[in-house]
Amino acid sequence: MTKEEIVTLTNQVFEESFELAPEKLTPQAKIFEELGLDSLDIVDLIVALQKKFKVQIREDERVRTIRTLEDIYAFILALKQEEDPKK
Amino acid sequence: MTKYDHIVVGSGISGLTTTLLLALSGHKVLLLEKAPRLGGSLARFTRKGVPFDTGFHFTGGLIHGGLLYRLLSTLGLFDAVEPLFMSANHAHRFVLESEDRIIDLPAGIPHLRQKLKDEFPAEQNAVDGYLDRVIRVCSQTVGMDLNLIGESSPHLEEETISLKSVVDGLTTDPILKSVVYGLGMCYGVKPSEVSFATHARVCFDLYESTARLRDGGESLLQAFEQAFRKLDVEVRCNSWIAECGRVTDRRVESFILNNGQEVSAEATILTIHPNQILQLLPREHLSRAFVDRVESFEPSAGFFTVYGLLEDESDTAFGGTIVSLFPSPDFESLLDPGYRGDPALVICGSTENVRGVTHRAITTFEPSFPSHVAAWKDSRTGHRPPGYAEYKAGRVEAIRRHLGRYDTSYTDCFRVLDSASILTYRDYLHSPEGSAYGIKQKVGQYNLIGKLPIRNLFAAGQSALLPGIAGAMMSSFFVMRSVLGKDSFNRLIASARSMRALPGGA
Repeated sequence: MTKEEIVTLTNQVFEESFELAPEKLTPQAKIFEELGLDSLDIVDLIVALQKKFKVQIREDERVRTIRTLEDIYAFILALKQEEDPKK
Repeated sequence: MTKYDHIVVGSGISGLTTTLLLALSGHKVLLLEKAPRLGGSLARFTRKGVPFDTGFHFTGGLIHGGLLYRLLSTLGLFDAVEPLFMSANHAHRFVLESEDRIIDLPAGIPHLRQKLKDEFPAEQNAVDGYLDRVIRVCSQTVGMDLNLIGESSPHLEEETISLKSVVDGLTTDPILKSVVYGLGMCYGVKPSEVSFATHARVCFDLYESTARLRDGGESLLQAFEQAFRKLDVEVRCNSWIAECGRVTDRRVESFILNNGQEVSAEATILTIHPNQILQLLPREHLSRAFVDRVESFEPSAGFFTVYGLLEDESDTAFGGTIVSLFPSPDFESLLDPGYRGDPALVICGSTENVRGVTHRAITTFEPSFPSHVAAWKDSRTGHRPPGYAEYKAGRVEAIRRHLGRYDTSYTDCFRVLDSASILTYRDYLHSPEGSAYGIKQKVGQYNLIGKLPIRNLFAAGQSALLPGIAGAMMSSFFVMRSVLGKDSFNRLIASARSMRALPGGA
């Protein structure tokens, strides 16, 4: 899966599941301060990302350091690479 | 408007536990129950004067130091109930019908280990590998020590792998697999769908000891009711939240009850099914992500149940064993809604004394799913279409034949008094789809527990953490720590313990 595909699908999650306007979804957008999620929304975000990317995401240390959309793209990319290191 | 410190919705074991913890910490609590009486599936009912259990038949963890023992002791209720332990040598009996083989499981993991090695001499490493892993998961589960409940726990690999994948890596013996999977009837999820961690947490205590309570869940319910009277808890049956009032800053200001009364509380703990929680929360305050998450939960297995009397005195060890009949060694298919063969059947016996007469009460149940009753799903108790009675009669007759194949005394001496489909459970217990363990707790799934999107509402119950009575109670302790704050919660636990340590203490 390419970075572009990950960006597109991640942004879809924010548009569909959190009803955010696409123009707000810049890589540097801070998910708590600017996109209006709070720490308790993270579980819902994880579940939506799991479904969209068909991966299993644990609420671990890596998730807790996520601050921006770019952080999410990088996290998903890493997960996908762990899943299949050849790609 | 009437103000409370806290409101608890639902009076199953989780609601009762939550209410008592709040009352013990000195709060003004209102407990709401939709049904005409408290207790959910803890409550019993009578047929021909003989009491039967609704949903609480047996449990693990009641030996000294066991999880349920510690939970009840902390609440000051352990002395109010009397555990009746299953036989030490055959607490559980698994009858593998297609193999014509009976395997009795003794109580206590060391005995179980030896027994399984005797039964499966070529599988010594698999037996050790399995039981060691069960023990390791439970010893690493932070919440199983009540002092540490709610502390962040180390990530366990077993949370994200299925029971089936662990067992497939240990053995190819289909019979040993059946024995390992057999207690899956106690959480109602297939081996490929349940995490090894959930399986281990439910089974550990059942392996150590299995017991019923004298007078069933009713004895526990009465102990709660007595404590509520002492602590002046306001309890209302036939009562529920009809709608949420205004929501400001993600907090609900008040509720309208079904009788039109307006009430408010600092925090409200919902111990009802996640689907009912979703119906209660105002949609305009929920993200699509939250709604999708809750809507994706599936029901656990439910049970078609037959209640009756065994009018035969020949079995002197009556009631000392939970018997499970498995027509196929493929446990995965036995918990599949599409399975068309003879269903698995669990048989529980209890001796009930009614006005000086001793009765041998039998509750026997086989897995059932919404697809079995889809034709009548829009009907309610007392108003079922004619086909439904035929469905029930057919299943009762099949169960009667199945019992007779296991033990001929059932052929002549088993008197059926009543039966219940999953629609019966649905309508009496207000549990969507009539499942036995709430939602199906699947590997990698995030259950609904603790703070909800409306931040002064909290979710607890058996769908929150772990299926069964101990899991439901644990979820209440867990959520209480969040509602009361860590310090108040720890003070409450410590004072409950010191009260018990004093001579004559509660």
